[in-house]
Amino acid sequence: MSRSHHADKATGIGDPQCFKGEAGPAKFKLGDKVRVKDLPDIFYTRTQVYTRGAIATVVELVYESPAAEDEAWDNVDNPQWFYSVVFRQKDLWPEYPDVYANDTVETELPEFWLESA
Amino acid sequence: MAKKHKPAPMVEEVSDFEILEVAVRELAIEKGLFSAEDHQRWTEYMHTLSPLPAARLVAKAWLDPEYKKLAVTDGVKASLEVGIDWVNSMPTKFGTPSDYCNLRVLEDTPKLKHVVVCTLCSCYPRPILGQSPEWYRTPNYRRRLVRWPRQVLSEFGLQLPEDVEIRVADSNQKTRFIVLPVRPEGTEGWSEDQLAEIVTRDCLIGVAVPKPSKTQNDKRPVHPAVRPVEHH
Repeated sequence: MSRSHHADKATGIGDPQCFKGEAGPAKFKLGDKVRVKDLPDIFYTRTQVYTRGAIATVVELVYESPAAEDEAWDNVDNPQWFYSVVFRQKDLWPEYPDVYANDTVETELPEFWLESA
Repeated sequence: MAKKHKPAPMVEEVSDFEILEVAVRELAIEKGLFSAEDHQRWTEYMHTLSPLPAARLVAKAWLDPEYKKLAVTDGVKASLEVGIDWVNSMPTKFGTPSDYCNLRVLEDTPKLKHVVVCTLCSCYPRPILGQSPEWYRTPNYRRRLVRWPRQVLSEFGLQLPEDVEIRVADSNQKTRFIVLPVRPEGTEGWSEDQLAEIVTRDCLIGVAVPKPSKTQNDKRPVHPAVRPVEHH
């Protein structure tokens, strides 16, 4: 595979737009409760440690793309859906004050990091 | 005997990271990954960027409900109307690993306040917001905002009532975020130009809210460390 395969694919289209339609059907939909898996990440990941094991709500299907864990090693063969998910702060940090129970964190995770909760 | 002078103090003009950048850049040029001209074109492009288009986007959205709808559903398309083409403005025409081509505009309401961070590095919507401020890249901001958002915001002078939900957007993958704040009272009848002036960079990151009289970012508050590191 040429070093410029990414440029060839994305030029004039953009990244992640260039992977549109490549992920197949999405496993989760808006409003679904998902749990972030606690997978090993010895090489590279963009799934924050603070999200592991926590439950979140899917608020948007954002785009299709290879996961960062693959793309970091030049592997673009398995594009998947990315979800914007919202955590309650209280579910991430047990000491978060009850009086601010509505506060949230929103972040994006690829499908393989998520399971139904 | 001539008077002995002390040697002139050394000025560390180049940091280790700058040396590293030069070394990697020169290797990449030697390898043919990109040319010196490519690099120059990119650098010049980066210097043209600023928060003005994002401020303009917010002002337009305040004035035009249809445009606001477009902005919150398709930030990339809405950017075109303020002169930013996320794909084709960039010299590469496809983005880069730090400037992907996906923008989401996060709409505040009186009961919901967004604020943006990148806890893993310092992802920032540079095509529409320019270079990030230094504090945005510090571990201090990145580590604390996601966990103690109210404390950090209050250090920026922004105290929010209990019944306002604070939503921290952690920009960890290919989406970049800007905040569409609530239009402040006291701006009735203002033109797009007038409105754009009060949408500062800090408002677009979410650490400040627009005010009718305010057209500048505040200086970042610097607090002395509680347990300072001792230097030996």
